[in-house]
Amino acid sequence: MILTIIIQFVVAMIATGAFAIIFNAPKSEWIPAAFTGAVGWIVFFVMKEFGNSNMFSCLIATFFLTLISRMLAPLRKCPVTVFLLPGIFPLVPGAGIYYTSYYFIMNDPKEFWARGLDTFQEAGAIALGIIFALAIPKSLLKKVFRKN
Amino acid sequence: MNSNFINSSIERTQFEPTNPTEAPTAKNVLTLAVEMGDLLLRNGGEIYRVEDTILHVLEAYGMENYDVYVLSNGIFASANEDRNDSCSIVRHVPLGSVNLDKIAAINQLSREIAQNKIPVKEAWDRFLEIKEMKMHPQMLMNLCGGIGSAGFCYLFGGSVLDSLIAFFIGIPLAFFLAYMSSKKTSKFIMHILGSAYVTLLSLLVMYLSAPVHYDKIIIGCIMQMVPGIALSTSIRDLFNGDYLSGAIHLLDAVLTAMCIAVGVGFMIAIYYFATGVMP
Repeated sequence: MILTIIIQFVVAMIATGAFAIIFNAPKSEWIPAAFTGAVGWIVFFVMKEFGNSNMFSCLIATFFLTLISRMLAPLRKCPVTVFLLPGIFPLVPGAGIYYTSYYFIMNDPKEFWARGLDTFQEAGAIALGIIFALAIPKSLLKKVFRKN
Repeated sequence: MNSNFINSSIERTQFEPTNPTEAPTAKNVLTLAVEMGDLLLRNGGEIYRVEDTILHVLEAYGMENYDVYVLSNGIFASANEDRNDSCSIVRHVPLGSVNLDKIAAINQLSREIAQNKIPVKEAWDRFLEIKEMKMHPQMLMNLCGGIGSAGFCYLFGGSVLDSLIAFFIGIPLAFFLAYMSSKKTSKFIMHILGSAYVTLLSLLVMYLSAPVHYDKIIIGCIMQMVPGIALSTSIRDLFNGDYLSGAIHLLDAVLTAMCIAVGVGFMIAIYYFATGVMP
């Protein structure tokens, strides 16, 4: 279990880091951006392992992901965007999009609606996660994490 | 509208040479502010940040009665409204690709303008430097496309072999996406063709009876196209009360997802007609 989590963390870090480079993140922020995404994924992964639903796991993971991005922003003196955009990718329902279209073509309405609903729920969970984390006042984060 | 014209905004709004000891003219300040906002918006900044940056720059250089309204593809700004040198700029900003490097640099510049009030000319030179900042080399980006696809393939339950194949399918995909974006082709076509290509190769690998999970390979590769950026930008715009811009990005996200689904579905249907069995 611990080994799986470590492997998942490292792979998530590599994948998110690669996406950070694709989006032209500044060189100095590659590692922090990759770390942000990996934390988001690992929260999602562990929550799922403990039998939570996709939607709830996604909500909590996005919340932590956004929170970490906002904590890193004053620390690294960089906009939140730099950490949040690459970091969100592991949680975007890419698999949902694929399976929805697959069952659409397969002419399997039951699975199609189930997967489609899943995709929308995950997207909605991401939205809520970001919103909850954004609702924490900026002044509070700055007070705690400003490097001086 | 001619795309050349849109991109040549620098040539269009010439910066008037001024004596550094004099107070900056409204036109110069507004040009600087709007150009900075334009660059932010073009490279994926959210509306609130763009408005905030423009307002900070205008305020730092002592403009009066200024106002700014930003949409996800346009900027409207004016300064010194009730004075002789009143000035306004309207700018069309097409939805572009993301460049976090430029966002971070503009952020830094705007912070310095607000804190140290550096001369307008110097700020303008710094801005030009940021605008001309190089992308990472294309080869590195392609490689990262492959690495990202392989990583996500593994995370979504693929085996090591699946990831390896996703890596080799992902590199040309990254190249293709970059090429299509640079040619300013329709994003619909780009995503449909991209996901069709991914599905075709994955099915081909499976057809050659390799022991792979073709669905995981497809999922890993389409992660390069999924609308993660549009989705999170949209939510942040909505959160800040910029409903129109949020809706534009949300529509962008939904349409992108649909295009990916169309590309994948199309190829699976073709496979079915060609072989007579569902993959």
